[in-house]
Amino acid sequence: MVQLLGGELNSKGIDLRKALSRIKRSIWVYHINTGSCNGCDIEILDVLTPYFDVERFGIKLVASPRHADLALLTGPITIKTFSKVYRALNAMPRPRFVLAIGSCAVGGNIWFESYSTLGGFPKALEMFSEMGLEIDGVVYVPGCPARPEAIIYGAATLLGLQKPKTRYRRFKA
Amino acid sequence: MVKFLKILPIAIKTGTVTIKYPYQEPLITESFRGAIEIDPNKCVGCGACTRICPPKALTMTIESNTIILKYFVGRCIFCGMCADTCPEKAISITKEFELATGNIFDLYADVEHEVKTCPICGKTFITRKLSDKIISKVPDIPLETMDLCPDCRRKETLKKFIGVPE
Repeated sequence: MVQLLGGELNSKGIDLRKALSRIKRSIWVYHINTGSCNGCDIEILDVLTPYFDVERFGIKLVASPRHADLALLTGPITIKTFSKVYRALNAMPRPRFVLAIGSCAVGGNIWFESYSTLGGFPKALEMFSEMGLEIDGVVYVPGCPARPEAIIYGAATLLGLQKPKTRYRRFKA
Repeated sequence: MVKFLKILPIAIKTGTVTIKYPYQEPLITESFRGAIEIDPNKCVGCGACTRICPPKALTMTIESNTIILKYFVGRCIFCGMCADTCPEKAISITKEFELATGNIFDLYADVEHEVKTCPICGKTFITRKLSDKIISKVPDIPLETMDLCPDCRRKETLKKFIGVPE
């Protein structure tokens, strides 16, 4: 369900991959904008207000990546912000999760082949694995901008509260 | 300190505003646009949607002897221009927005089309469905050159008029 990277039995016989795949406490989130147009950021602010009130699920915004379990990543990851994203995600304690919000973070949107962007989080993820930064789970939330309900749905998918609806489909015409 | 207490009557008057999302229906208006859905029976594979799509979420690729219309919802901006431009009205806009998933390959949807191959040069150039559609719509179409690719068709038509060069 959640994409996993790395992990084998350690010296104490604990399956690290299994141990890090789920989070059993309230998740604290850190918001990273990587060159987004602020549409998705406004929707994230909407989620955090009393109107949608994600503190029902124990989700809380924190000001430092060192306190965070989950990074809310928006934007297509421009070349300029890439080093900052690496530093922010590197500062997060394991298990670290990423919620890629909006079309930009998922597939690069209209900037997917631009010279100044990486074109979405999947491409950054490849580079992170080369650089030795392990991310325990990624959930992609499409939408331009993603609705506040879609973001809550994505967080619920990450927490394992429900199974994702979307499936790969192939039709013959 | 006393100033803060002003908020209490306001809060009591307003009451609870929180939307209990998973249990309460989200606000979806008439004009809301979600993910698109391609009807594989209606789609002829003309590629009009791939040309109008601003972020190229809809793409057409030739794989061996099939043409694949690929829809990547992760790049879609939900503008609905593909539904407007589709000549067969095969694309419909749904109200689906709960698309979150942990696996990026779940966000793809493919429509597979049978392809026509030129008998002279062996090039693949058009879907069989689109070719049939053109034959049924255009009167007095020269059927003998319909199986050929545009380049070979030009040559064959020219041969008919000026004869075979020696």
